[in-house]
Amino acid sequence: MNAPFFKFDYFNTDVSLIFAFIIGIAFGIALERGGFGRATILAAQFYFTNMRVLKVMFTAIVTAMLGLFYLSVIGFLDLSLIYLTTTNMLPMVVGGLVAGVGFVIGGYCPGTSMVAVATGKIDAMVYVLGMMFGIFVFGEMFPSIESFFNSSEMGSVTLPQYFNMSYGLVVFLVVLMALGAFAAAEWGERKMAAKKSEANP
Amino acid sequence: MKNFFANLSTNKKFALIAFILGIIALFAGNPYGGGTIKVNEKELALSTINNSDKVTVTDLADWIIQGKADFELVDLRSQEKYNEYAIPNAQCIPIAQLPESDLLRNQKIIFYSDDDVAASQAWFIFKSKGYKGVYILDGGLNAWKEKVLFPKAPINAGKAELAKFEKAKEVSKYFGGQAQTDSTLSESKPSIQLPTSNVGTPKSGSTPPKKKKREGC
Repeated sequence: MNAPFFKFDYFNTDVSLIFAFIIGIAFGIALERGGFGRATILAAQFYFTNMRVLKVMFTAIVTAMLGLFYLSVIGFLDLSLIYLTTTNMLPMVVGGLVAGVGFVIGGYCPGTSMVAVATGKIDAMVYVLGMMFGIFVFGEMFPSIESFFNSSEMGSVTLPQYFNMSYGLVVFLVVLMALGAFAAAEWGERKMAAKKSEANP
Repeated sequence: MKNFFANLSTNKKFALIAFILGIIALFAGNPYGGGTIKVNEKELALSTINNSDKVTVTDLADWIIQGKADFELVDLRSQEKYNEYAIPNAQCIPIAQLPESDLLRNQKIIFYSDDDVAASQAWFIFKSKGYKGVYILDGGLNAWKEKVLFPKAPINAGKAELAKFEKAKEVSKYFGGQAQTDSTLSESKPSIQLPTSNVGTPKSGSTPPKKKKREGC
């Protein structure tokens, strides 16, 4: 048996939807347990008062990366069958900024807003309506931005390919980066807390 | 040492494990397999004995006529030879360029060249790289010409064999060849003409290729 199971035809599209449902539920539970169902925590990341989002995200990245790397090194997983979105540098930077601004203003990202809706948060319900409206507007104006949407096409690149480094080295560097970020986040949070207690003792 | 690890907080334990795994990753090699290959002798030998790794030319002809599209037909000969004549729907990947091809491990792949040799080599390389569905066109293009394009009328044939030949005649017509009965043999032998390559122009009536699995998010 080899992964990815779907690509090797171990189950069909219908069954894949069942798996997607189960994985989606599990993802939602993980987000909620990580505290991502509360807008205050998510927004606090952008003011650097609570670094939980950074810690959770980097933990997820490092866990997934190490898992994928070692599973493929032992030959269980065929990485070449994993779908990679193509990179369009400039449109992605612009889109990322738009999404980031929306993140700060609304206090949710698309995934966490669904989690918050599930736990009955009214602001999240309004957020989802806004998101739907945004999708509609994007769809309507797509013809006029299509050329920009497809510009600066780079294909399906990965960091090792782009920087021409070995995969192991990239894995090591990302782990280092994550551990550094964790340490910096803890340090920053202590500083912030100290400042706060100074301001109002 | 044991004490040191036990005294760490859970966070720090996980951080330490991640760090160690990161260091091991430096020396763990390429996750895409690199150039090394693993061979399962027994499995390879068994599939060769059972002939389960071969596709006959008549089967392939039937599949193409039925418009089956769940396989990749790969022509391992040079580009010039491919341009001269190739089996319909085949793609040209000379054997030297196989390692850079974008054939995927979950595809059904049929290799052919003039005879069995190059196809067998390609088959072995791909089998050992963990490709699941790799097949050799039995007899290669020579067998294709002999049995599909220019089938010969059986001599002193029984009824069953004659019926088979009638079918072969139709099949050969479909691919632009000509069956060799005694009369045509004497007439047109010197000028056996290979049909012009009609690669890339799928015949009408064939079903569209199997829908690619949707991917991405």
